[in-house]
Amino acid sequence: MADSTKITRYPVCKSAELTDNTMQKVTINTIDVLIGRKNGKLFACNNSCPHKAASLSKGHFNGDNIVCYMHGYEYNLFTGKLEKMSSWKKEDTWVEQDPEWRKSGDLVLYSISEEDDIVYVTL
Amino acid sequence: MVKGEVPNIVALEVLKKNGVNVEKLKELITKGVGAEFTTYYYYTILRMHCTGLEGEGIKEIVEDARIEDRNHFEAMVPRLYELGGSLPRDIRKFADQAGCPDAYLPDNWEDINSILKVLLEAEQCAIRSWGEVCDMTTGKDPRTYDIAQRIMQEEVEHEAWFIELLSKRPSGHFRRKFAGQSPHTGSQGGLIHL
Repeated sequence: MADSTKITRYPVCKSAELTDNTMQKVTINTIDVLIGRKNGKLFACNNSCPHKAASLSKGHFNGDNIVCYMHGYEYNLFTGKLEKMSSWKKEDTWVEQDPEWRKSGDLVLYSISEEDDIVYVTL
Repeated sequence: MVKGEVPNIVALEVLKKNGVNVEKLKELITKGVGAEFTTYYYYTILRMHCTGLEGEGIKEIVEDARIEDRNHFEAMVPRLYELGGSLPRDIRKFADQAGCPDAYLPDNWEDINSILKVLLEAEQCAIRSWGEVCDMTTGKDPRTYDIAQRIMQEEVEHEAWFIELLSKRPSGHFRRKFAGQSPHTGSQGGLIHL
């Protein structure tokens, strides 16, 4: 079990395994972390969607955003900010969801780096 | 033992050794049962609006889904408490944290297709929601997995019913033996109070 007060850098994969415009889930001490490379830049965040805790690894890219497969919310992978809060009003006659249900925090970002062809995540 | 003091729980210890993030699992289950409970509530309203020739034709199917969603809540909540979790004390908070949107009655509810589309969306969200629990527990937490996969089987059936009603594709579904039978989470699993 990770010591929550201690910051540790964990090797997670070889650099070649993280090709451009791909992402993957890795588990570090039971914490699921989404890592990836977008247009050459590495990113790492908690795999749990801040809205309703779905696995972000099941989502897809939209520019620098990750789109959650559960409700379509979009978060910037480099700033962590919620950038698009999808409407559930799919047709004119549908009723929009309550604001309390719709609200979401931002992504939990982690530090990620590369050294000697190994990718590291710091928790 | 002091009142309120909980001894070492081997059933939890085993999960942690298997690599289960128990806190995350409890969060997912709470969101899942929240969606089931709110769906049960909103399906009640939707069912009341299934009237006229077309509406009466689907009322029994909506009722099956309604009762079975309530059964899903009943089936999984005991497991949440076994894991050391609990339901939010305030039902408003419970509804706000639910993993799926509220299945509100659409404005044009006289068009039965609009009700069917809401029902279909709700079932599809539930499939994704319980899929998360199944993915997290498979091979690691057989008890939670068993309940979640039973719920999942019924949610997949519900989705098929509403797709068949909307698309008129061929259907393998006939009818339940009684309303809200829950063939997977009900009598076979012995998990609910029918």
